[in-house]
Amino acid sequence: MELEVDENDLKAAGAEIFVDGGRRGIRIHGWLIESRRNSILNSSTVQEWEKKLVTSHLPEMVFGENTLILKHLNSGTKIHFNAFDALCGWKQEALPPVEVPAAAKWKFRSKPFEEVILDYDYTFTTPYCGSGAIEIDKELNGTKISEETGNLHWEDCKEQIDLIALSSKEPILFYDEVVLYEDELADNGVSLLTVKVRVMPRSWFLLLQFWLRVDGVLIRLRETRMHCIFAGSANPVVLRETCWRESTFQALSAKGHPVDSAAYNDPSIISQKLPTVKRTTQKLVISS
Amino acid sequence: MSDLDRQIEQLKRCEPLKESEVKALCLKAMEILVEESNVQRVDAPVTICGDIHGQFYDMKELFKVGGDCPKTNYLFLGDFVDRGFYSVETFLLLLALKVRYPDRITLIRGNHESRQITQVYGFYDECLRKYGSVNVWRYCTDIFDYLSLSALIENKIFSVHGGLSPAISTLDQIRTIDRKQEVPHDGAMCDLLWSDPEDIVDGWGLSPRGAGFLFGGSVVSSFNHANNIDYICRAHQLVMEGYKWMFNNQIVTVWSAPNYCYRCGNVAAILELDGNLNKQFRVFDAAPQESRGAPAKKPAPDYFL
Repeated sequence: MELEVDENDLKAAGAEIFVDGGRRGIRIHGWLIESRRNSILNSSTVQEWEKKLVTSHLPEMVFGENTLILKHLNSGTKIHFNAFDALCGWKQEALPPVEVPAAAKWKFRSKPFEEVILDYDYTFTTPYCGSGAIEIDKELNGTKISEETGNLHWEDCKEQIDLIALSSKEPILFYDEVVLYEDELADNGVSLLTVKVRVMPRSWFLLLQFWLRVDGVLIRLRETRMHCIFAGSANPVVLRETCWRESTFQALSAKGHPVDSAAYNDPSIISQKLPTVKRTTQKLVISS
Repeated sequence: MSDLDRQIEQLKRCEPLKESEVKALCLKAMEILVEESNVQRVDAPVTICGDIHGQFYDMKELFKVGGDCPKTNYLFLGDFVDRGFYSVETFLLLLALKVRYPDRITLIRGNHESRQITQVYGFYDECLRKYGSVNVWRYCTDIFDYLSLSALIENKIFSVHGGLSPAISTLDQIRTIDRKQEVPHDGAMCDLLWSDPEDIVDGWGLSPRGAGFLFGGSVVSSFNHANNIDYICRAHQLVMEGYKWMFNNQIVTVWSAPNYCYRCGNVAAILELDGNLNKQFRVFDAAPQESRGAPAKKPAPDYFL
C-alpha cells in the first residue's frame, strides 16, 4: 500500500524510508521496520511445507514469504511475523473441526463405513502472537550474517497499551498490511491471518489479527497488539496485549444481533459484539 | 449494428447495461438455456476456462490469449461472479455472447451462481451499488437456475465445476436431475458444483466441515471407465500454476482468475483442445495495472487500533 508521506514529517522524526524490491520499510529511532509482500506459495513449496508441518492440508492461500519484521538494531531484538510459525501454532493447538449447518442433514446421507471422514481443524485457528529472537549481525569472511543468540522474554504486566494516545492523529510515516494466510473455507466463510503496522514520530503500533467466520456457526477473532514508544536513550519497552473473542451465531442472534453472514465482513466493526474469552498483557524490556 | 452487438461492445468496455436491457437479455438467454441438457454436448475444437470471479480485466486478457468469441469456441466452467470488482460486467458480457453466439460459447453453473452464495460474497452488493436496486441481481440469479450443470466434449471429456457425487455413477443420472432451482444444500446437483478431488483418500471422503464430498483416484477411475471418457476437466479450486493434473492424468483442475482477489500472485490457465482433442494449456498473467479502468487506489493512512 503506497502511502504518501510528508518529507518534512520524516525529517522531523529523524526517520528514513527505504524501498528495495519486495522489501520496504523505515529506519526510525534505532528500529528497522520492514514488510515484504509476495505471491502465495507454489505447489512444490506447499508440498515442502506440508512435509515439515506433518499435515496434508494447508490454507488455500499461504503467503509464505510475506513478513513483517521489527528489529531494534542495538540490542538485536527482532520481533517478526510469518505464516510458517503461525501454522506451527495451528498444528499444535489442533482444535476439533467445526461443523457447518448443512452437516446435520449430511449425517443421514453419508455412509461412515464407506467414507473417510477428515478431521483436521480446517479453520486454521492459531494461537500465534508473533515470533521473536535476539539476532546479532556478524561479519564472517567478509559477508554479513545474522545469528540468533537468544529468545525474547515477555513478562506479564499491569500496564496497558495507551489507546487514547494512539487515537491522536499523529502523522503516519510508514504503514503496511501483510496477509500471512487466508482460506475461504470452500465458500463457507473466511479464515484470515494478517498483520498491520503503523509507525508514527513517537511510537510504532501493530495489530496481528486472526479472523474466522464459519457461516451460520461461529465467529472468532484473536488479536495481538504491540506498541512501543520511542524513549530516547532509555531502554525501549514493547507492550503486547492479546485478546481472544468468540461467539456462535446462535449466541449473537439471542442477543438480537443479525445472523446473516454478510453482516460480519469487517471484524473491526463487530468485535465489540463478541464476548472476550481470553486477555493477557505482557511487556518486553529491551536492554542493549 | 444490432442492439445486442452494441451491448456487447459496451460490455467489452466494462460499462454495465441499463436495468431494462439486462431484463431483456436475461429473457432471451433463458429461452436458449432452457433447451440445453444437464450434460451439454460440446464439439471440439473448444477452449475450456475455469473460475473468473468478476475479474473483468483479467477475463479480457483471457480473450486476448484464447481469441475472441465466436472465432474461438468457449466452454466456461462457472464461478463468473463474486469476489472480484466487476461481477456484473463479467457475467453480462458472457451472457450477451451466449445469446449472440449460442453455439460458440457454453456456460455451465458454478457454486457461486446461487442466490445464497452471492449474497455473502459480493455479487449482490455489487448489483445494489451499481443499480441502486436488487432487480439486476434477481434477473441474473433467475438465469443461474437455467445454466447447465456439466458438459461433454466429443463424448470424451466430462466437464463440471466441482466434481463427482456418490449419487452419480453415469452421465444419464445427471441428465435426469431437475436443475431449474437454487443450488440445494445436498444431493447430486450440490455435489457436482461443490465437491473436490482429494489426494489422501482413494474412495470417498467427507470434509471436516461435516458437509461436502471429497473423492479419490479410484472414484475417478471408475467414473471415467463406466462412462467411457478420457478425463474430467473441472475448476473450483485455486491453483498457483493455473492448472493441475491429479490421479494419473484422470482429472485436471483449470483456474482462470490470475492474481486471484488481486493479491495472490498466481497465474491463470485455459485449456485449448483442437479438433483431435490434442491439449494445449495457455497460461496467462493478470492484466497490467494501467489497462484496468479504475486507477490504483491509494489507501488513506489507517489509524487502526
